[in-house]
Amino acid sequence: MLDAARDFVALAAFASAVVFGVGGIVGLHRYADPYARMQASSLCGTTSVFSMFIGALALAESVEMAARLVVIIAFFLVSSPTGGHIVARFAWNSGLDPWRPEPNRRRRRAGFPGSAGSGPSRPAGAPGDGAPGEVEPAGRDGE
Amino acid sequence: MLDGMLWFTLACSAATMVRMIIGPRAADRLVALNVLAALALAFLVLRGVREGRALYLDVALVYDIFGFLGLLAVARFLKDKAMGADERADGRADGGGDA
Repeated sequence: MLDAARDFVALAAFASAVVFGVGGIVGLHRYADPYARMQASSLCGTTSVFSMFIGALALAESVEMAARLVVIIAFFLVSSPTGGHIVARFAWNSGLDPWRPEPNRRRRRAGFPGSAGSGPSRPAGAPGDGAPGEVEPAGRDGE
Repeated sequence: MLDGMLWFTLACSAATMVRMIIGPRAADRLVALNVLAALALAFLVLRGVREGRALYLDVALVYDIFGFLGLLAVARFLKDKAMGADERADGRADGGGDA
């Protein structure tokens, strides 16, 4: 009875791990930008691996294995978001702009014929556009 | 069930290694390295539970700590390298001959 319950909990946790892991890997290969890939990969790296830990905790045979698994879960819960933050800060400090769709194509599709083909593909200093060229120098000096 | 999850972890690691090889920028490779460390940790934990030996879980915990420190070291190294290149480029633009 107890073994059947443990198997059921482990099966549910592993199914969740497979779903989130496949989603994270697909996002890691489909997205266009390191920031978006980081979002997908932190989904994979945290939720999928955490579900695997819960399934392994349900299948653990002795108390010492369960205790070590709890310690590993606690450390992973701290280290994984911190690692993601370090990678994001490195990408932002190295001068990498976030991806955005080309404004010319978007305006042409929305029905503004006058703005089609107006210079480069990204208006670097357009006011009020929220372009990343405006907010970069203030945000990248801090450590 | 544990064998299936071990193979799933290996498949995810292979797909992540593809991204780490073809990643066009250093940030892509660091993202893939972060995922790869987590997947290796999950592989070690699942293998330790399958074999029934608590020693593998100790190895997994130490690997997690050192993987985190390695990621921190690689990020700091790449940042220092990029900043050093910027300073050298600035010095060359100013006419300094220290490069």
